[in-house]
Amino acid sequence: MKDLTIRNLSKTYFDPYAGTNVTAVHDVSLKVEQGEFVCIVGPSGCGKTTILNMIAGFIPHTGGEILVGGRPVKGPGPDRGVVFQSFALFPWRTVLENVAFGPKMRGVRKVERERIAHEYLALAKLTEAAGRYPAELSGGMQQRVGVVRALANEPDVLLMDEPFASVDAQTRMTLQEELTRIWQEKRPTVIFITHDVQEAVFLANRVVALSKGRVLDDIAVDLPRPRSWDALNDDARFKELSGRVLQLVRSA
Amino acid sequence: MMMLRRLSSALWFCAPFVVLLVLWAVFIPYFDVNPRLFPHLSSVIQAGIEGIKDGTLIQHISASLLRVAVGTVLALLIAIPLGIAMGVSPIISSFLTPLFRFFSVLAGIAWIPIATLWFGYGFGAITFVIFNAVFFIVTYNTLLGVSTIPLQVRNAAASLGAGRWAMLTEVLLPGALPNIVTGIRTGLGFAWRGLIAAEMIATNLGLGYMLFVARDFYRTEVIVLGMIVIGVLWLLLDRLVLAPIERATIERWGMVQRA
Ligand SMILES: Nc1ncnc2c1ncn2[C@@H]1O[C@H](COP(=O)(O)OP(=O)(O)OP(=O)(O)O)[C@@H](O)[C@H]1O
Ligand SMILES: [Mg+2]
Repeated sequence: MKDLTIRNLSKTYFDPYAGTNVTAVHDVSLKVEQGEFVCIVGPSGCGKTTILNMIAGFIPHTGGEILVGGRPVKGPGPDRGVVFQSFALFPWRTVLENVAFGPKMRGVRKVERERIAHEYLALAKLTEAAGRYPAELSGGMQQRVGVVRALANEPDVLLMDEPFASVDAQTRMTLQEELTRIWQEKRPTVIFITHDVQEAVFLANRVVALSKGRVLDDIAVDLPRPRSWDALNDDARFKELSGRVLQLVRSA
Repeated sequence: MMMLRRLSSALWFCAPFVVLLVLWAVFIPYFDVNPRLFPHLSSVIQAGIEGIKDGTLIQHISASLLRVAVGTVLALLIAIPLGIAMGVSPIISSFLTPLFRFFSVLAGIAWIPIATLWFGYGFGAITFVIFNAVFFIVTYNTLLGVSTIPLQVRNAAASLGAGRWAMLTEVLLPGALPNIVTGIRTGLGFAWRGLIAAEMIATNLGLGYMLFVARDFYRTEVIVLGMIVIGVLWLLLDRLVLAPIERATIERWGMVQRA
């Protein structure tokens, strides 16, 4: 696991229909230390997905630089695991094979990669589902698979783009609690994107507020772990931090 | 339980054919239809037994099946890689698409005359016609299949470390498979019809030829036997080869609804 440095990052899209340039990300700088859990919050259209896609290497950036463990990003790679809002599981692979996919690409032998996959599935309480196909799982279970599939490849940085936005509120809270638990156990470097302020404060060590492609501010979250919604719902500090982030995001 | 349901659905599938056979057995003799226009059921059965005994029927069937098999396999070997190449490369696909539009209209029996000039009468010409019928449809469907794979799924594979080859075998091929299977089904359907037409013109062996020659001798029982064999072979091909492949792959994966 390594740190991530973003310096003066920018992205300008060309809109071929309007024939104009759209600058989605302006001069963003951000440093994420190894083992840190950073949430980026901001309203719809503020450039969150664009930033994440550039870090993942899915789209090129038009200015600045992105360094993972000191090395510049050129295209997608296994050092940066991604969890997608749409899950993006392989429908033709069982849950076990989905999770074992990364190790398989690294050339890990079948017995060994299945052992790894089983270990991670157990971590997400998915042992029962190992032999099933993604289409046979609920949305919440599919996203658990999405998370451990990325983790099982032991990336330096884990990138998550609103991964829990398409599951119901109940399931979302469970997934959030599980994610904090898994993070505590494995301590990956995480960049988690959301427009849900409470989610951001619940999960993160640090919340970065974004608006119109610029970083507004950076707020440290000093809530104790392990975190649970039962404990935090009425927690004064949680409310205060959420209030501050919300104000920040809305003020822009 | 599963077996029982399979069995009963198979029986239900056969039921309308049984009714048709009974009507045939009853009404053709009842109205005393001229056998030069339509044969009795019994004489068709007779013709079938004779054809099996003297080996001619089997010869025709195996000649036809071999042509279909060779033409189809050759077509798939080229069509699937080409379709995938078109699916991943906008340049290749935009360059070739007009050609495909043009040739897919012509695919099939329009090629018989020139195919006989190139390959002579027989195996080569007919296999070429089959190839044609399968090739364009499968290429087009493979292309379609690749373009239906969500970008995020390809991105997921790339960020899990998949290189070009793994992307091809682990993502593009299985992702395009539902469409490829549809393409093979449709293509084989065309090929099967094209085969019969081609064999009427361009050979002296095969089911199409068998029909065509029987006509010259007013052997309606052979004609009808041939038609039945053609239909039954297609059903067997569809039920025993294509459907099980579908069940084991894309239905199992939940990528298409069970038919
Ligand atoms: N491919 C593209 N071409 C042109 N403009 C784009 C493209 N993708 C995004 N944009 C523009 O860039 C800006 C930021 O988009 P982005 O998807 O990064 O926002 P977001 O913060 O992820 O929003 P949401 O919360 O709705 O997901 C938007 O104005 C969007 O219209
Ligand atoms: Mg987004």
